[in-house]
Amino acid sequence: MIASNVEDSNPRPPDDTSAIRPNGWFRKMLVWIISRATPKCRDVVRILSQQMDHELPVMMRLKLRLHFLACCWCERYMKQLQYMRETARCFPEHAEEASGPALSPEARSRLKHVLSNQ
Amino acid sequence: MKQRSAAQFSSTSAASPTIPTALRNDPAQTNPDRWVDEHGDCLFRYALVRVRRREVAEDLVQETLLAAIRSREKFAGRSSERSWLTGILKHKISDHFRKLGRETSFTDLESLADEFSEKFVPEGYWVHVKGPKEWKPESDEVVYRAEFWQTMRHCLDKLPERIANVFMLREMDEVESKEICSMLSISESNLWVMLHRARMALRECLEINWFNREK
Repeated sequence: MIASNVEDSNPRPPDDTSAIRPNGWFRKMLVWIISRATPKCRDVVRILSQQMDHELPVMMRLKLRLHFLACCWCERYMKQLQYMRETARCFPEHAEEASGPALSPEARSRLKHVLSNQ
Repeated sequence: MKQRSAAQFSSTSAASPTIPTALRNDPAQTNPDRWVDEHGDCLFRYALVRVRRREVAEDLVQETLLAAIRSREKFAGRSSERSWLTGILKHKISDHFRKLGRETSFTDLESLADEFSEKFVPEGYWVHVKGPKEWKPESDEVVYRAEFWQTMRHCLDKLPERIANVFMLREMDEVESKEICSMLSISESNLWVMLHRARMALRECLEINWFNREK
């Protein structure tokens, strides 16, 4: 999402997937309206993180949808938060593959000793 | 280090097929020695990422395996042995932090220097070149390989300890946010700030070191 005055210093990336891109005066105006009617990206990312932990009010969810129409970055951010959640859940069972220090031989034999006394 | 972990993979994968599934789920065959050999490093490494101290991690693994012995009749083989044991470890970790939360106050908000202010123009919009990049979707098989988990561990280790802790309680141990607040005696808004910072930093780290790395 951009305000038109910052557009020049921050060109949109070639892989921009926003539904509404600010080419032509009409689209520029739409983007401007959306940027005024919805939270700023800095706040959107905070709200998106909150959304992972509790349900947002309907109005806020609508505002986010509207915001995404003109901002591919925030929409991407949301998808990436969800992706991180899905993968983080699998981490504990894959911790062995994540390398790092292993059980020392002493700890290993101590464990076996304690367990065999059960 | 790489060679060593490669050797461990091959030894576990070579050992597994020799025990028929029916026998594996038979209590007489759930030999705790084998648990230590097959799952010990996995449990230990996860515990170490969570608590960052070797002795504490070893204690948690021991408590986990002792609890597993006590409840092994209940393990009916519905899930894999690995996920059953990591499930027990997750509970032990929650208990650990619950005890810790009572002993130490959790009020100082360890900050990540700033909230990535350089990523936004003063008006609050993304600086486009610094905005989230497209994460090229790789097939699941490719993502779930050892290098990805190494990158994730490296990124988690770089987070400030408390911020990493709330993130992992929420997303790895799957504890509800209200429960985390009462465990650590922090307010909900405090928790949200910490989770937001953790997610932002982890996202950035994964993007740089995995999704947009030089291949």
